[in-house]
Amino acid sequence: MLEELHVFGVYLPTALVWAVVAGVLAHLLRGVWQRLPWSGALGHAGVWELALFALLWWALTVGADRFIHYG
Amino acid sequence: MDNALIKPSIMKIVRALCTLLAIAVLLFAVRALWIRYQVEPVTRDGKVLADVVPVATDVAGLITEVRVHDNQMVQQGQVLLVIDPSRYVLVLQQAQANLGGQRAALAEAEREDRRNRSMSNVVASEVIEQGQAKVEELRMTVAQAIAARDLARLNLDRTQIKAPVSGEVANVTLQPGIYLTVGKPAIALVDAASTRVEGYFEETKLQRVHIGDRVSIHLMGVSGEIRGHVDSIASAIQDRERTGDIAKLADVNPAFTWVRLAQRIPVRIAIDDVPKGIRLVPGQTATVVVHSADEPRGLLPW
Repeated sequence: MLEELHVFGVYLPTALVWAVVAGVLAHLLRGVWQRLPWSGALGHAGVWELALFALLWWALTVGADRFIHYG
Repeated sequence: MDNALIKPSIMKIVRALCTLLAIAVLLFAVRALWIRYQVEPVTRDGKVLADVVPVATDVAGLITEVRVHDNQMVQQGQVLLVIDPSRYVLVLQQAQANLGGQRAALAEAEREDRRNRSMSNVVASEVIEQGQAKVEELRMTVAQAIAARDLARLNLDRTQIKAPVSGEVANVTLQPGIYLTVGKPAIALVDAASTRVEGYFEETKLQRVHIGDRVSIHLMGVSGEIRGHVDSIASAIQDRERTGDIAKLADVNPAFTWVRLAQRIPVRIAIDDVPKGIRLVPGQTATVVVHSADEPRGLLPW
């Protein structure tokens, strides 16, 4: 399990880093989502955006735990 | 019914179902994140620790020799420092001379006592008794002188400060000429055999930590995984909201905290395998991951 990331000499908790990355990705994907013609038919956009953010955060966490190693 | 009326109502149902699906996805991800970050027994708050013996002198005096250098490995019984023995040699000589004198006095008293006893018809009983008492008294004085000599010998022996355990001396800044007082720690000796890792786990994560569980340890900025196992869990930590010693009345801090932080419980990790090239320095920061026996094996955290 990856608990911290080394960023220019500063050790940051992965929870924070992945949350920020997921937030940025979710924001970018939000634009794409809004351009889709049938997006309005899929319910409340806000709920989907929140779900997307949480899902991305979790996916980044699991992916990093599996594929990124310390050092 | 009219097609124009059916279509909007179907759309409404689809929208509602999709929103429910989104909520379900959101709850799933939040639960997974919660378990990963709040329940899994992982902590960044770990330290490499070792027992440190503050080697102190038992006799006071000037240092004449420092036989170790900083960060040197030493074996148990190896001489680390020598304190000027001159004074203690003199004290020993004095004690030996005193013992000799007392022994001579005792021998003379015993001879006199034997003589008096052999002439009991001409020597008064009182004189014989006084002679016997003198012999007893001198025997005790000799015993006292022997103890004083042994103490002087012990003190002389203690002018050589020896390593009580095998390990590495740390932060050696002593130089000949420095005066050491009795009981003052002079050198820190790191007991190499006691090197371990302690993970300070939040109390909320402790339920998933069991004695014997496999552990992965990652030192800060060092690649490679150190393997170990849970050796023990702290039996108690201090209650910071309460003061007063045993046998005193409890003094509980009447605080009300809206936000409470989980306390940290030290978990002792025994080290099983250190990859080549990794050096453990007591004090280093470590991330400790406990592979609990009941941890989920799949992708999902439950």
